[in-house]
Amino acid sequence: MSDLVHIDGAPRPKADPKVIAGIAMNLVLVCAVSAIVLGGVYVGTERYQREARLAGERSAVSGMLAFGEGAEVTEVRQYLDAPKREVRYLAKEYGNESAPTREFVFGLDGSLHASTAGAVASASGAAESAESANTAEPAGLEELGRLFVAKQGGALAGFVLEGESRGYKNRIRFFVALDSSLAVKGVRVLEHEEDPGLGAEIATPVFRAQFSGRTPDEIAALGVTRDPMPEDWHAALSAFASSTGGEAPAEWRTLMDRERTKPIYAVTGATISSRALTRGVKGTVDHFRRRWALLAPQLEGEGASR
Amino acid sequence: MSETTERPPGALQLLFNGIVSENPVFRLALSLCPAVAVTTTVANGFILGVAVLAVQVLSSLTVAIARGVIHPRVRIPVYTIIIAVWVSAIDMTLAAFTPSLYAQVGLYIKLIVAFAIIISRLEVFASRQPLVPSFWDAVGMGLGFMIALMVIGALREVLGSGSFFGIVLFKTKPLLFFALPAGGFFSIALLMAFFNALERKLTGGTAKPAAGGHHG
Repeated sequence: MSDLVHIDGAPRPKADPKVIAGIAMNLVLVCAVSAIVLGGVYVGTERYQREARLAGERSAVSGMLAFGEGAEVTEVRQYLDAPKREVRYLAKEYGNESAPTREFVFGLDGSLHASTAGAVASASGAAESAESANTAEPAGLEELGRLFVAKQGGALAGFVLEGESRGYKNRIRFFVALDSSLAVKGVRVLEHEEDPGLGAEIATPVFRAQFSGRTPDEIAALGVTRDPMPEDWHAALSAFASSTGGEAPAEWRTLMDRERTKPIYAVTGATISSRALTRGVKGTVDHFRRRWALLAPQLEGEGASR
Repeated sequence: MSETTERPPGALQLLFNGIVSENPVFRLALSLCPAVAVTTTVANGFILGVAVLAVQVLSSLTVAIARGVIHPRVRIPVYTIIIAVWVSAIDMTLAAFTPSLYAQVGLYIKLIVAFAIIISRLEVFASRQPLVPSFWDAVGMGLGFMIALMVIGALREVLGSGSFFGIVLFKTKPLLFFALPAGGFFSIALLMAFFNALERKLTGGTAKPAAGGHHG
């Protein structure tokens, strides 16, 4: 390949191996120093980052459920065990590290394979669940997200579902709160990297409030439109978003009947981000409806026997 | 590396240079892309400006210290790595210790890695000058960028949303055009023309034409 030339026709200069080695060493040195610095910062901050994230989630869960002192929240983590074709649920009192963990294992067809409640547990299944029930993070399983079940005075009061969707740049992580009839109470965006001033607007109260009050069937049929949001609806949504607990504003309730079958109004200039969150909420609610039909008898059965 | 032959400019001169005579947005026309995307409100411009200021100062100081050991043939990739390291370190630290602040500025921090203004100051200034002038140049450029973003943000927020720093000024229907990206370019062009005209007036028409044609 000695006839290689520069674009301008000049002969290619001979590369001096010493110079190349010097450049390579220089780059290796810079990257090594950078890696050490970043690794050091990560090790030093990782624990605090996780704590900050958990604290943020905790305040989001209690804020979205808006319950008083007596509420009892159970955290349910869901894992897929692909080789065994099973789905595992680990249920535990939320925020109480020393609380006992209950485990339910379902086959992909929805049949109960094992439960630490003991009703249907086979011998091998029970031994296995007892073993894994004590470990915080089951190894080798694919995490499928979490959900939180809230009870007040023994009665089912609501849910918070964790969901994820692929946004314009990176994943969007969000919570969806449902009431006991599975209608949406609220949506909160936990993490996203959409562009400030454009896609980031999906995290604003008015955009998120569009999901509230819709039933699971209405959510399943939900679309996204680029039409501008009607001004009266915008005003009603912002009144709804700033109302703290209690009764929803009257103007919102009247307009909700007109809007509940209408699509989500996309953020101007950010249709992709708007669609991403809508798709995520739809998927999360739909998945939960089917999941809850299996899970409810297990969680409820135990609650009743206590 | 000729800094031994001429005295580096003083702190005040460097600050004035960054904020006015070589303002990154209005004179150098660098980093217009984020300047358009983010400046729909004054607050957005302010937060991004502070983040750029921090990364610019830290990166310039690093390059000014390490310029002796960076091989000139690979200086641009090395500058990129230095900026990326600072951005990631700031990102992780804020996420760990100031979660409420991070919720507001996290998005902006991650945008900064690819900003032309930062790498151009490393190449043009910090790689040729000692520590102290590099610091003042970085502060001047960072402040100049922040002020420019806030001025653009103010114009677009008042015209596009009818508010200033989130406070509603008038309730008439705003000109949505200014909130959209096209309106952002338009606003920058208007402001650039305004500052050029102002300069021509102040200097009696003898000013050299504004720099332009940079990319980034």
